[in-house]
Amino acid sequence: MTQTRRDFIKKAAALSAASYVSMNLPIDKINLARADEGVVWHRGSCRLCGVGCRVELGVKDGVPMGLRGVAESRTNFGYVCMKGTYFWKCMRHPDRLTKPLYRAKKSDAFKEISWDKALDIAADQFARAHKAGGGDAVAYYGSGQSLTEETYLFQKIMRGGLQSNNVEGNPRLCMASAAAGYLSSFGADEPIGGYADFEKAHCFFIIGSNTAEAHPVLFRRIMRRKLDNPNTVKVINIDPRISQTSRIADMHLQFMPGTDLALLNAMANVIMEEKLYDAEFVKNYATFRKGEAEQTTLEDFKAQVAKYTPEMAAKVCGGTFKADDIRTIARWFAKSKGTVSLWTMGLNQRKRGVWANNLVHNLHIITGQLVKDGADSLSLTGQPNACGGVREGGGLCHILPGHRPVENEKLRRQVEAAWGVPEGRIPAAPGLHTMAMFSAINEGKIKAIWINCTSPAQSLPNCTLYNKGMDRDDVFIVCTDIFPTLTTQKANLVLPASFHFEKTGVYGCTERRSQLTRKAIDSPGEARAEVWIVREWARRLAEKMNDPVIAQCIKPFEGLTEGYELPKAIWDEYTQKLTAGRDNDLRGATYAVLEKMADGVQWPAPTEEFALTGGTVKKFVKGRDPMATTESRNDLPYQFYGAAHPDRTLWIWLREQADPEEMPDAEYPFYLSTGRIIDHWHTMSMTGRIPELLRANPYAYVEVNPKDADRLGIKPGDMVEIKSRRGVNLLPAKVYAGPVEGMVFVYWHDQHPDRMINKVTKDGIDPGSKEPEFKICAVQVKRASDPKPLEPYIV
Amino acid sequence: MPISGVVIASLPSETNDVLRFLATLSQVEVHGADEKGNIVAVLETESSDEMEKIIDRISRDQNVLHVGLTYLNAEDEAERIIQGEEPARPFGFRKPSGTT
Repeated sequence: MTQTRRDFIKKAAALSAASYVSMNLPIDKINLARADEGVVWHRGSCRLCGVGCRVELGVKDGVPMGLRGVAESRTNFGYVCMKGTYFWKCMRHPDRLTKPLYRAKKSDAFKEISWDKALDIAADQFARAHKAGGGDAVAYYGSGQSLTEETYLFQKIMRGGLQSNNVEGNPRLCMASAAAGYLSSFGADEPIGGYADFEKAHCFFIIGSNTAEAHPVLFRRIMRRKLDNPNTVKVINIDPRISQTSRIADMHLQFMPGTDLALLNAMANVIMEEKLYDAEFVKNYATFRKGEAEQTTLEDFKAQVAKYTPEMAAKVCGGTFKADDIRTIARWFAKSKGTVSLWTMGLNQRKRGVWANNLVHNLHIITGQLVKDGADSLSLTGQPNACGGVREGGGLCHILPGHRPVENEKLRRQVEAAWGVPEGRIPAAPGLHTMAMFSAINEGKIKAIWINCTSPAQSLPNCTLYNKGMDRDDVFIVCTDIFPTLTTQKANLVLPASFHFEKTGVYGCTERRSQLTRKAIDSPGEARAEVWIVREWARRLAEKMNDPVIAQCIKPFEGLTEGYELPKAIWDEYTQKLTAGRDNDLRGATYAVLEKMADGVQWPAPTEEFALTGGTVKKFVKGRDPMATTESRNDLPYQFYGAAHPDRTLWIWLREQADPEEMPDAEYPFYLSTGRIIDHWHTMSMTGRIPELLRANPYAYVEVNPKDADRLGIKPGDMVEIKSRRGVNLLPAKVYAGPVEGMVFVYWHDQHPDRMINKVTKDGIDPGSKEPEFKICAVQVKRASDPKPLEPYIV
Repeated sequence: MPISGVVIASLPSETNDVLRFLATLSQVEVHGADEKGNIVAVLETESSDEMEKIIDRISRDQNVLHVGLTYLNAEDEAERIIQGEEPARPFGFRKPSGTT
């Protein structure tokens, strides 16, 4: 690089940054053009969280060389985070899987084989399993990182081809409670508003979310809103742990894990007691529910929350804040011109995760802090396509594409008709949810499973138990991935997959927004796009099982090229045939439209003309959401047409405080909670391979409150044993006043057997959402030794 | 030698302190600041590793709330990849267990 070219690039970098804050710099814009010489910028979405940042990948001579944000995008306005900035380094990484690998027995060594052979083996094994046990003996376990086209095609083959609803994905582990919360409170999955509310909000209620580290680009927007309006915008942070997010909070309430249902009920109590609720909104749009969904009354609700006085809740929460603090935040929440709530795993990964979601929604419904600009109850998602592919595209055992419950016969028939398969082909009962699926593997009931783009060997709670099942030689495991993982080590067949920007497809992010990423570079070695892999596998399955219905499932996609035509045809089938008239109507979001839009389309978007406006910013609002008009039943401005509530009202739930499944006791006296750190993502198979990110945080550590550390004789860096009834970790200590006294906190990314915290976590599940309670279990904490040198570890 | 463009968000009342701190960092070239606490800067480092470290160092300043990246060019590294050099790896490549 010449000095002159470096100057151009530096000036381009300065102009790029300045443009985002409307700062005029005395730099000639010709520098931008000169800096771009030889570089082609390809537009797409970021790969490493659920925000949906739009980015452009710089490619020079066929090699990725940089990344920049898309300033016109309403998700990130051009900003990206450190993780996102470096994800392109995975593309040419020497650890990439580049050839199919096979071994008949799990004790055998892998051998490289051809794609023909690999696909034959996969088809043979699934056919054999199906012959032995029908649809119950096969399974697909996917990912919120797969493209919608991939999830859709996998589940189509499983349901329509192999007659199995054993279709699951890792979003069960992170956002199933949020989905169930939306369905039970609002009658429809996914948020009413979105990020656009941030710039109009006057109160942020952040609970169970370290937004600053898990969603840094959104945190910047919240921080900017607060800094620009320091006296009129309030930020409330509710979390057992003080985090980077707490830095901008006007009030941070630290509570003992699992007690926040009492806190949320106490806030509702203050709002009702002080008559801060919106009686007109409640009268027009809401009803009250208890138990399974039994209708009750406003008076019952008042009586129920009246039990949760601020004094009582403050005590239940551990006495770490005052009763008046609850009154203060309840008033801020109710009285603000617009309140946005944000949460992630802190609410979802709980034994009563759905209830926790319901109680946040309650606050919004009773105060009318919904459907207006600047107000929303917004669940943040952790993966780029958990909403779009898995929740909308049929990637869970109980839902078919287009938000259709499996058990609804009429809706099953619609799907069968769209696919051209015989009536009754899709089983009437939901399949096994994630924990049941891996329990069935432990019991040898599932004989063949396809694990795509995720690593359950590390990400399941109490993972040692479920690794035993995956180690069985009578369970055939196929893995598609880009890197070796702890799960590929359990596989019989490892298939090398294309990475982001090496294939074409759509991601649907947190705020109902679908965005297209087109193929920009070729995959290394023999890695192939999953849509190609599934089609080729299904054709062989049809032959081996002599089943023309399986062939019918891929008939519309035969002969199409994998880089663009094939995913486009799959997207067209899904959107045009299966979202028509559904609440996630995406008929207008064609590839042609998505290619024109800087930041995709928010559904519902029934027509291309409407989609080209960006789609629906606010759901349920006449004049803004086309379905609110077509589904209108009266003169009211808001129409809550969600299919799960036939009465078309929002449901305010009477829910009690409920303890976690496992509480500290004399033997295991500490709470353990787990979470994320800014540099890493999930099982670290990607971020752990990027030296800059790995070196920033090379291994997990345990955060210990200084008072607890003092009592236990733990000094910074000491090795500490964290032991539960299920497993043990040995981790270096970080002593600081982050976690509340009585709780320790560990990042869950580390793959090292001594530091893999999911060996310790508990596999209890929410009875409604079936999501595990990763966030809370009971542990012993013991100093093991002085500090020891540690090595990062990744398979 | 990567180059990045960043917007550093500082507490508006403390922006001058942050600017003084940034002036001590040789890798940072400040191009402007506004009354909202936004500081526009270009970071130029010897390696991506150093880029990560300098961003981390800036982020840890008590008056800095956020370092927002908008642009990263690492074409030197890309050119080295074209020439056959493998990017740095922090540990040895381990294939799935038992791989031949």
